[in-house]
Amino acid sequence: MSQVAYINNRPYEYQNGETILNFVRRIKEKRNAIPTLCDAPNLEPFGSCRVCSVEVALAQDGPTRTVASCHTPVGTGQYIYTDSQSVQKLRKNIIELVLTDHPMDCLTCEVNGNCELQDVAAQVGIRKVRYPAGKNHLDRKKDLSHPYMTSDLSKCINCYRCVRACDEVQGQFVLNMSGRGFDNHIIKSSNQTFFESDCVSCGACAQACPTSAISDVFQSKSVHGDKKIQTTCTYCGVGCNLEVSVSNGEILSIQAPYDAEVNQGHTCLKGRYAFKFYNHPDRLKSPLIKKNGEFVPVSWEEAYSFIVDKLTSIKQNFGADAIAGISSARTPNEENYLMQKFIRVVIGTNNIDCCARVCHSPTALGMQRAFGTGAATNSIEDLDYTDCILVIGANPTDAHPVTGAKMKQKFMKGVTSIVIDPRRTELASYATYFLQLRPGTNVALLNMMLYYIITENLVNQSFVDTRTEGYLDFKNQILALDMDELSKITGVSKDLVKKASVAYGSAKAAMEFHGLGVTEHSQGTFAIQLIADLILLTGNVGRKGVGMNPLRGQNNVQGAADMGAQPHQGAGYLDVTNPEINQRYNAFYGAKVPSKIGYKIPEMFDAAIAGDLKALWIIGEDVVQTDPNTQKVIKALTNLDLLIVSEIFMTETSKYATVILPSSSFLEKEGTFTNGERRIQKVNKIVEPIEGTMPDGVQIIEVMNRMGYAQPAYSADTMLKEISQIVPFFAGVTWDRLGTMGLQWPVKPDGEDTKLLHTETFTRGKGSFANFDFVESHEIETYGKDYPYIITTNRELEHYNCGTMTRRTGNVAILTEDVLLINPADAAKELINDGDFVCVESPRGKVDIKAKITDEVLPGILSSTFHFPEIMLNNITSDEHCSEAKCPEYKVVSCKIRKSKGKYKKEMEAKFAS
Amino acid sequence: MSKKLLLQHIDVPGINTYEVYRKQGGYKAVEKALKEMTADQILEEVKTSGLRGRGGAGFPTGMKWSFLAKPEGVARYLVCNADESEPGTFKDRYLMEKIPHLLIEGMIASSFALGANTAYIYIRGEYFYVHRILENAIKEAYANGWLGKNILGTGYDLDLYMQIGAGAYICGEETALLESLEGKRGNPRIKPPFPAVAGLWGRPTVVNNVETIAAVVPIINEGGANYANIGVGKSTGTKLISASGHINKPGVYEIELGLPVEEFIYSDQYCGGIRNGKELKAVVAGGSSVPILPKELILKTAAGEPRLMSYESLGDGGFQTGTMLGSGGFIVMDEDTSIVKNLYTFSRFYHHESCGQCSPCREGTGWMEKILKKIISGNGTLSDVDLLWDIQSKIEGKTICPLGEAAAWPVAAAIRHFRKEFEEYVTNPQNIVDVKHYYRVNNLAAV
Ligand SMILES: Cc1cc2nc3c(=O)[nH]c(=O)nc-3n(C[C@H](O)[C@H](O)[C@H](O)COP(=O)(O)O)c2cc1C
Ligand code: SF4
Ligand code: SF4
Ligand code: SF4
Ligand code: FES
Repeated sequence: MSQVAYINNRPYEYQNGETILNFVRRIKEKRNAIPTLCDAPNLEPFGSCRVCSVEVALAQDGPTRTVASCHTPVGTGQYIYTDSQSVQKLRKNIIELVLTDHPMDCLTCEVNGNCELQDVAAQVGIRKVRYPAGKNHLDRKKDLSHPYMTSDLSKCINCYRCVRACDEVQGQFVLNMSGRGFDNHIIKSSNQTFFESDCVSCGACAQACPTSAISDVFQSKSVHGDKKIQTTCTYCGVGCNLEVSVSNGEILSIQAPYDAEVNQGHTCLKGRYAFKFYNHPDRLKSPLIKKNGEFVPVSWEEAYSFIVDKLTSIKQNFGADAIAGISSARTPNEENYLMQKFIRVVIGTNNIDCCARVCHSPTALGMQRAFGTGAATNSIEDLDYTDCILVIGANPTDAHPVTGAKMKQKFMKGVTSIVIDPRRTELASYATYFLQLRPGTNVALLNMMLYYIITENLVNQSFVDTRTEGYLDFKNQILALDMDELSKITGVSKDLVKKASVAYGSAKAAMEFHGLGVTEHSQGTFAIQLIADLILLTGNVGRKGVGMNPLRGQNNVQGAADMGAQPHQGAGYLDVTNPEINQRYNAFYGAKVPSKIGYKIPEMFDAAIAGDLKALWIIGEDVVQTDPNTQKVIKALTNLDLLIVSEIFMTETSKYATVILPSSSFLEKEGTFTNGERRIQKVNKIVEPIEGTMPDGVQIIEVMNRMGYAQPAYSADTMLKEISQIVPFFAGVTWDRLGTMGLQWPVKPDGEDTKLLHTETFTRGKGSFANFDFVESHEIETYGKDYPYIITTNRELEHYNCGTMTRRTGNVAILTEDVLLINPADAAKELINDGDFVCVESPRGKVDIKAKITDEVLPGILSSTFHFPEIMLNNITSDEHCSEAKCPEYKVVSCKIRKSKGKYKKEMEAKFAS
Repeated sequence: MSKKLLLQHIDVPGINTYEVYRKQGGYKAVEKALKEMTADQILEEVKTSGLRGRGGAGFPTGMKWSFLAKPEGVARYLVCNADESEPGTFKDRYLMEKIPHLLIEGMIASSFALGANTAYIYIRGEYFYVHRILENAIKEAYANGWLGKNILGTGYDLDLYMQIGAGAYICGEETALLESLEGKRGNPRIKPPFPAVAGLWGRPTVVNNVETIAAVVPIINEGGANYANIGVGKSTGTKLISASGHINKPGVYEIELGLPVEEFIYSDQYCGGIRNGKELKAVVAGGSSVPILPKELILKTAAGEPRLMSYESLGDGGFQTGTMLGSGGFIVMDEDTSIVKNLYTFSRFYHHESCGQCSPCREGTGWMEKILKKIISGNGTLSDVDLLWDIQSKIEGKTICPLGEAAAWPVAAAIRHFRKEFEEYVTNPQNIVDVKHYYRVNNLAAV
């Protein structure tokens, strides 16, 4: 039976369960037939304004009932009248009533011309309000307490959109309606200001509010912008789609498009509000060469010839392998591609790496070994299809806020959830099972899970039989493990691990996510392979709602590796040691590529200290502040003959440079970023490069050309044409095809993209099982006795990595410093009070940090961030690395603590006072 | 003497205690239900009885129960609505205060019939002393094995909780009640989904009024058919009426449905006639929300038939000439009553109690109060009366919950039947003797 209902007596087909509003809006010419106020595209229907009322009859022109179309489902054979006289009058009366308590100062209101209330009032034909002036709420005070969020609740029409956005989109529950009836008013937390409240400044409420009652300091809803340009956020691997308003070449504000596939109208405070770094006075605006210990501004020409001369002579005197490049996971694919091409083809070495090394290199390697492809198997939208979410070593609500918010919604709605983390993260407090393990024992814990999946008969045998190899051996080794011992090592009870394993193993569709808490360990790659085992064992791959999904740290970590910014694999993950492949590269590049595997980042530092590495070009990475063991990094950098740093600001690293090239930020150039779900998205040039700066890609091409390689001028379009010919999974990618939503790789030559990997077979054929026994971290073995605490590092929502950008935005007013999380028991033992400076000392050095006493961490465990150069936490982190991928072990550092005294304390206090 | 099913033993001393209640045959219905009947059989009896919801809407209880979704492995709940906050209605309080075990007995039998292992009584916050009585009765029931695990050895478990409201009329609306019970702000939910599918904690739930649940006890004891024999037509059984206003004997009466209104007002067995020998002017028959009717229309229908205390007879004539039985809050007004002032009092109540979600209700209730205040202060105009009419017509049927219409109906009916009085207020305010007095007493600011 076809489902037909009538709109104003004309028949249309409707979809089952659809609301009348959606039904009517789906029909093009009727898109604006029904006005709405409390409805919003990303919120559940609410039905409070009643402006969307329509009349419904069961027969043509029969007796009608008035219903709110936004939440009433369509029924077969209904006759819907969208603009009968009576609903028109009703709507008008409602708006009239609403306006009796609304200031009539539209002309001076920031949203004038872009106000939904104004639009609806015009649509229903209000000219004047018949009611005499009465009691109202026009004297409500504005709230300007917050660096971003503002409110002027005299403009509030009680539609609840802000409350629902905060609940349903962000899940923060800051906003609420207080008072009853006419006394209804929006409050923040316990009737506080925005600044005092628990608000995480995501801006969802401001975007949702139909008036200017809740807004932001950028007045993002105003119509001043003369252009709106879409781009992709630069802050994390979620890759939010952003819409930037520009006027007169200046960025006014950023909103999130509701139809964006990645973020559906949501984004976090970094994406939405932390853009003011771009024209900050601190921006580097001229190339600088260090002469007699001082940076001196020079022309681009001088900088380029200096670089070319130096590189040429180093290459001549010490060979190509004395030169290396560190590309940036912050910059677009095209620039990463160029950098690796420059290093390989023009310099002639495989000494190319990128910051993926220090975050997800074990993911790429481990997943390649198990499945054949080092990338997320599924898409974020699969969260809607899963019934078990496993999060290991990741804190998405801070580090991947938009995906984190989606997960939190699922957790709260009762989807079975398992969190494995040494720290009780926000998600952990909502999880069904929280396994709070000792840092550095992932491998032990995963082995326990594998054991219980097998002993509880939860192995998906048909999947194992048909799609994997190595099971029998694997099984025997797992069954030989001693659960009591592993439970002691991890500090998690057998019973809890078993329960969590059963939950994961018996779910119809279980979806895994992990972050740096898995990779940044000496056994990082092994842990990744064990997670892959878990997935193979239970058949959780190749369909919707399952899979292994790394939460990529930086916005383009995926892309940087895809483009070949790695010493062992060229563009498209092709093996640099394979002569056949190299012949392809040689032909394509028109030059001979090297076949010896190059240095990984930590090896570059070792080589520099040893005197083997003479020159290094770093693009957009602050290795001094963010790589482990700061003093060693500094030693390496000072030992170089030539350090080129392409940067937007003077960083801890650029201070050691020989030449600094001022770069343009992502808002000033074009290219593509690839997010954590393999989605290649456009980065559009929003404004012209800040005067005196140059995009990294242009810098590289200038040097390539000067060194004798003819690389055509930079444009995203031409670069993608080149890349698509050599990177197999980019085959069908063109600038035009990417459109506004991007494409998920592999993209076939005809442009068809891929949401799910490994549906029929694995990239490598069969999925491969592998066993690894737990090995105590070398750090703890060696120093654990004298340095009894373990400090692990993490991130905060407000800041991005070393904070170069976010510390130059309003975010710094929200989160002002790094702090040390310490358990109350430890604090008591060491006589430390909340807010005291604590001296944290490791075998490498010491730092002073302010204590924050919290039971987020267990006794014996400390945690902190490295967003602020005042602290330089990496002075204490170690030199240990993942044995396979060389990813540093940021997550397990042995240390001892005491209350700061004397010199350090004074220094720190002076620092903070100034 | 008409038959009593609920208040039969109300005068027995100590009937509020477990021992006395039990001695009078209490908890027999639970014994019968759990030991001799299946859940489906009870449902059939309730259907046969023709029992209709006593909370106001009069929806057939058997039908409501049969709508309850029963997905495998999902808990179901029975929630008793004891929020009784409608002006003019106080029967549930009387029942819980005097004979609390009757409600508990009904809760157990009904929960069993619905397959609920957890049940709640959501009671009006202001009923302080009743909380204690009810809490005590629940304790007694637990102590005597009527609640808890494995009741009467049948393997049936039931936990019963009392939850106290915080003083909001809106929390009597069933979905607002559920929100409040979940610990949230008591805002009514949009429907669908209905509570029978997604109620408390999103699970299937039946919400019934105190009196409805109590009536299940005699239905089980005496059989649905016998219950259906009482009353008239589709108005079966007995009903508690809260009688108040200008009558000689205000109080709670259990009547057989079908009793003539005239007899109810004038018979000594019930209200005992109008106080001080005055004339009857008007009646609000079912709680403050239902349309007021003038004497002519409350005693006889427009067709001249005697008006009966039944859902159908009171509803005869629709809202043009009829009203509703509602929750049975029977408010009688004598000839000296000012309909306009009375309406102002009601409007003030609804303005105060609107939850504020729906714009028509939030703003409309405020404006109705404001305009009425202007009229009774002697500053009204004829166009104000029209505006009042216009506002009420934009609320009825156009809001999330029926509070909006509950606020609109009294306004519509008062203007419909007493327009002259409104006109008198606006054209000759000086003639309304007590305006000044009223002005002072209520400390009204000049509008
Ligand atoms: C504003 C409002 C207040 C209500 N208050 C009550 C109440 O106090 N008690 C009650 O039983 N029903 C009340 N109701 C009706 C309930 O929503 C619901 O219909 C009733 O509890 C169902 O029980 P029944 O079928 O046994 O009558 C109220 C409805 C509205 C709209
Ligand atoms: S900015 Fe985000 S967290 Fe803050 S109140 Fe608005 S929706 Fe809630
Ligand atoms: S602040 Fe804005 S979104 Fe929130 S209720 Fe008021 S008008 Fe609606
Ligand atoms: S009709 Fe009134 S009381 Fe009911 S939900 Fe709407 S605003 Fe609240
Ligand atoms: S849009 Fe439907 S009630 Fe507000």
